[in-house]
Amino acid sequence: MNCELAHERIVLAAYGELPDEQIHELDRHLSSCAECREEREQLQAMRTLAAVCPVLEPPANLVARSRLRLEEALDALPPKRWYERLSEKLGNNFAGLQAAPVGAALLLVIGMGAGMLGGYEYSQGRVAHAAVAAQAAAPMQNPLVIAPSNVSSISSIVQQPNSGVVEVRFNQVVPQQIQGSLDDPAIRQLLMMASADAASEGVRDDSVGLLAAECRAGHSCQAAGIRDALMVALRYDRNEGVREKALKGLEPYVAQDMRVRDAVLEALLNDNDPRIRTEAINVLGPVEADTTVRQVLYSVANSDQSPQIRNVSRQVLSRVPQIQ
Amino acid sequence: MQARASEMELIREAQAGSRAAFDALVRQYEQQVLRLALHLTGSEHDAEDIYQEAFLKAFRYIGNFRFECSFYTWIYRIVTNLCLDQLRRRKTRREDQAVVLDHSGDEIDLLASVSDNRSFSNPARELDRKVLGERIQAALDKLTPRERMVFELKHYQGLRLRTIGEMLNTTEETAKNTLFRATKKLRTQLAGLR
Repeated sequence: MNCELAHERIVLAAYGELPDEQIHELDRHLSSCAECREEREQLQAMRTLAAVCPVLEPPANLVARSRLRLEEALDALPPKRWYERLSEKLGNNFAGLQAAPVGAALLLVIGMGAGMLGGYEYSQGRVAHAAVAAQAAAPMQNPLVIAPSNVSSISSIVQQPNSGVVEVRFNQVVPQQIQGSLDDPAIRQLLMMASADAASEGVRDDSVGLLAAECRAGHSCQAAGIRDALMVALRYDRNEGVREKALKGLEPYVAQDMRVRDAVLEALLNDNDPRIRTEAINVLGPVEADTTVRQVLYSVANSDQSPQIRNVSRQVLSRVPQIQ
Repeated sequence: MQARASEMELIREAQAGSRAAFDALVRQYEQQVLRLALHLTGSEHDAEDIYQEAFLKAFRYIGNFRFECSFYTWIYRIVTNLCLDQLRRRKTRREDQAVVLDHSGDEIDLLASVSDNRSFSNPARELDRKVLGERIQAALDKLTPRERMVFELKHYQGLRLRTIGEMLNTTEETAKNTLFRATKKLRTQLAGLR
């Protein structure tokens, strides 16, 4: 045994990783090599010194604080959509199909379909149902025409006995208007509601554009939940222009906020607009060395539909030095 | 075996959407996660952040867990990746601390404060423990993030090299070589040049 090999085995023996037969061989070498015996003493000394920084049990209040913060974050998460659960279940149940090309291809198609659906679900307006019920009443006897958009909900429908008269109780939306600066909490609140709920693409586009501008300017982006509203728009809005504005608004926070980073990674994986996916790669620039980001870039480099995006991903991966 | 079977049940329930089952899994691993993160970062704040990110990620991706490795390895894989990211961020921010300062701000020559016959066996007799701890920390900071991670998992957390390889998504052989480099660097830092 040469000394270089002996030095390595000294380390393994010190940490209980050396097989028994090699321990005996090492002992024989050490009995005749003073330099290696010195090496063993040095290693033991280093281990003794390193023990000066012991591993401590985390304090109870740190555990409690961490647990509480996690619970709050989990409570705030939206429930998984049915297609997300289905996609996971398919992946688990058909994991063995990796060796079966037809089955694997089928799984890929189903997964892609579920994934595309999952990225861009749009929450339905609350007034959609009102028109049908209101029109089912007696339009001839009520000349008043009710615009469906003014009805917020139908609370009851009662047909009077032995008559053709139907009574419908409904709640009506009263149009309002306010104006104020972008610092006004009421204005911000309405803009955030509009970004998620407005029936008109133009209104959503305007609201997300204004919120994104606030974030890029660094105007209290998080305290008012604006960042959350932009992440929702990036994930769910059907209009690519709205999603692009949301992405630009989140750009300044990708390095400091892991949720923003994860939202951008999701867009890179799932957005069906290649411009958004390309922009997502640019936005991830400050965190391109992160392990999670590299994993996603690796996946995109291999599987994105766009050759240009695959190429850009590979370029980014080759740019970041390998970690030793 | 029974404990592992009940853990598998918890995992399946969590995959099916049970928040209570996921919370139970968190309870099983949270001490270990915090212990590792706290020792590695030296900061309660950073440890709390790593805890938060790790378990949120676990919650999000538990549906992808396919029982190909133990849940313990899976969770630790998430945690070690986050710790590596943290170490890399620190390394780019921190200036190279080639010297260690004592309480009055003077530089400490590590060699001078160690006895000539290199009797490390009783460091507490020769040096203040806190100052010594700072020197150890300075030496650990000179390792690359990956070397620091492997040394932490082997020396301080007592994991097998094979397990460390799995957690870091590499081979046992690579983990072994990384440990050799780490111990060699630390010996040089703590004992002076040969």
